[in-house]
Amino acid sequence: MTHDASVSLLLVDDEATLREPLAEYLTGQGFDVREAESAAAARTVMQDIRPDLVLLDIMMPGEDGLSLTRYLVESQNLPVILLTAKAEATDRIVGLEMGADDYVVKPFEPRELVARIRSVLRRANRPELTASDEGTVYGFEGWTLDPLKRKLTDPEGVLVAISTAEFRLLRAFLDHPREVLDRDRLLDMVQGRTAHIFDRAVDNQVSRLRRKIEPDRSNPQFILTVRGGGYRFAAQVSRLPKQAH
Amino acid sequence: MLSRLPIPFAKSLLGQVMLVVAFGLLVGQAVSAVLLYQAAEQRREAGLVNAIAFRLVAAEQNRGQRRIARRSERRAQRDAIFAERGANPTAQGDRRWRRFGLQRADAFTPLPTDITNPALEQNVANVLTEQLFDFQQVQVVERRAGDDPFVVALAKERAQMRQPAWKDRTVLVAGVELPNDQGWMIARVAEPPRPAAIAQPVILQTLVIFVILFALLYIVLRRITRPVARLTSRVDAFALNPDKAVPIDEAGPQDIRQLIAAHNAMEAHIASMLDEKDVMLGAIGHDLKTPLAALRVRIESVKDDAQRSRMAESIEDITHTLDDILSLARVGRNIEEPERTNLTALAASVVDEFDDLGELVELADAPRIVGTVHATWVKRALRNLISNAVRYGQDTKVSLMDDDGEAVIVIQDSGPGIPEDRIAAMLEPFARGENSRNRATGGAGLGLTLARAIADQHGGSLTLSNRAEGGLRAEFRLPLAGIDQAA
Repeated sequence: MTHDASVSLLLVDDEATLREPLAEYLTGQGFDVREAESAAAARTVMQDIRPDLVLLDIMMPGEDGLSLTRYLVESQNLPVILLTAKAEATDRIVGLEMGADDYVVKPFEPRELVARIRSVLRRANRPELTASDEGTVYGFEGWTLDPLKRKLTDPEGVLVAISTAEFRLLRAFLDHPREVLDRDRLLDMVQGRTAHIFDRAVDNQVSRLRRKIEPDRSNPQFILTVRGGGYRFAAQVSRLPKQAH
Repeated sequence: MLSRLPIPFAKSLLGQVMLVVAFGLLVGQAVSAVLLYQAAEQRREAGLVNAIAFRLVAAEQNRGQRRIARRSERRAQRDAIFAERGANPTAQGDRRWRRFGLQRADAFTPLPTDITNPALEQNVANVLTEQLFDFQQVQVVERRAGDDPFVVALAKERAQMRQPAWKDRTVLVAGVELPNDQGWMIARVAEPPRPAAIAQPVILQTLVIFVILFALLYIVLRRITRPVARLTSRVDAFALNPDKAVPIDEAGPQDIRQLIAAHNAMEAHIASMLDEKDVMLGAIGHDLKTPLAALRVRIESVKDDAQRSRMAESIEDITHTLDDILSLARVGRNIEEPERTNLTALAASVVDEFDDLGELVELADAPRIVGTVHATWVKRALRNLISNAVRYGQDTKVSLMDDDGEAVIVIQDSGPGIPEDRIAAMLEPFARGENSRNRATGGAGLGLTLARAIADQHGGSLTLSNRAEGGLRAEFRLPLAGIDQAA
């Protein structure tokens, strides 16, 4: 991945035990890594250089990661991936609401982190793949998908569990309704995955997703198979303003 | 599980106190009614005895003095005596009716329908003796007025006795044999009608006391039971969700107020302890996960792929154990509301996760089952149960069904199972099966405990059993309606 050589990352974490080896690892992966041990240090670094992406620990003494996230996203328009020790959904949602592009839970697999970094950068570089406004909710045929909470609900309002890969796949379909998406393109949009968790054939993920949303799996009406390789999302998709909770 | 059924009235404090008081009052009133009745009877009898005795005494005196007093004087004289003796002159009309003349006869012959009354006889004899009346013997009987020939003869002359009602009244007849063969002197007194309505005032009185007493009791007891009921529902709510102390108003009598104050203090103490625990666990989680993350990054530099993946597995095991510990400590402390969730899709998601890891788990076809649950927790429980089956057995099968309002998720394997006597212990924290499930295969033994805690949290259950064909069968039950409705 030679194009990574030009990618600069800013790693902000107060724990040197993690920051140093991680910086080393990411440098080894071809990134140009700068380190900062606090939000204040990060701001100082940013006066000299403008990184392509910021990796940010949520829990830090002093100014915390969330408030720095808001600054980075709103004032600097920078992609942010949060590093968090808590697996709790509320933290994650707050982080995403602040405008973070993604998050990983400690201890994460370094390869997964790299995959996420690339995925976020790809989205940032390709406007048509940029995440739609996180504040909206997708709707189709009574179903809703809340991208922030990663919640899929059926027409009766019942929660339907989906995996991260399924979420990304469905979102790709919802972003491109009625468009034929071939397997390569879908894989491209669904990436941001570790090799062994998400590296399944797109067909497999489509089949799982169909099992969850299609009323009749043998006769799908949402995700149609297009002859010649690819899929098309047939239903009409609407963007709903975020529901108050 | 926790919600209280309404207490039947007879078992409630209010009901029991009221029933006991009602019973006591009833017994007391009954006893006093009997006593009142007896006293009235005695007074009536004494009046009769005096009346009849004084008729005889007065006649004897008249006879002795050979003086015929005028009727009016006699009446005045007798009334005076009656008054003095405490007799009870009845209504004017009745008194006139009761006045029968004295009869002289050679013999006293009781009728077959007469009722002899030895006690009355004795009383009459005593009074006569007291009045120095000289007599041979006394016979006293009670007789139906219509049967007495003397009264019947008299009735023909009397206007007020034209109504036949008098015939059924009782007349007290006293015959005295005078000494020296002077024959018998027979006096009659009509018994005043028995106060049949003696029970009526007692019943009325009882009712009045009942109403007043119950009204007061109700007011007093409500002052006790209402705060107690509030306390009970608060304790229930706190047991279910000890996240926040919600002090309840101190109301009612001082004893109850103290109880409520003590409860409020305890609740505040528990809530703050739980808060401290959460803060502590958060710190532990953070403090351990950061070095684990560092370790996970560092092992990427290990060149030997086999070594590296084993290290990664170890780190993953530690992480899972840590997550299980943190989850177990937090289960039941939910900030989020349970949501209606498609449990079939949820089970499929968990099975897919194992599929992604290359573990073959068979999911039986199941209809769409919707339950109100904490999806993240249920997912975690299923993950632990399936992971247990995959780790210790083969041919893991997952099936779901709706059993009368409960989702039943069965996870079975064809492994060695668990010795029967160890099954209960397996659900305890840090327990692990012996030999067949040793530490080398990993896991902290918290998986099943956490799964059971999650079932409990939802008002459901987790049951482990050995299959006849060999292997373990875990039955995870969840009430579909959610904990509040299911309890």
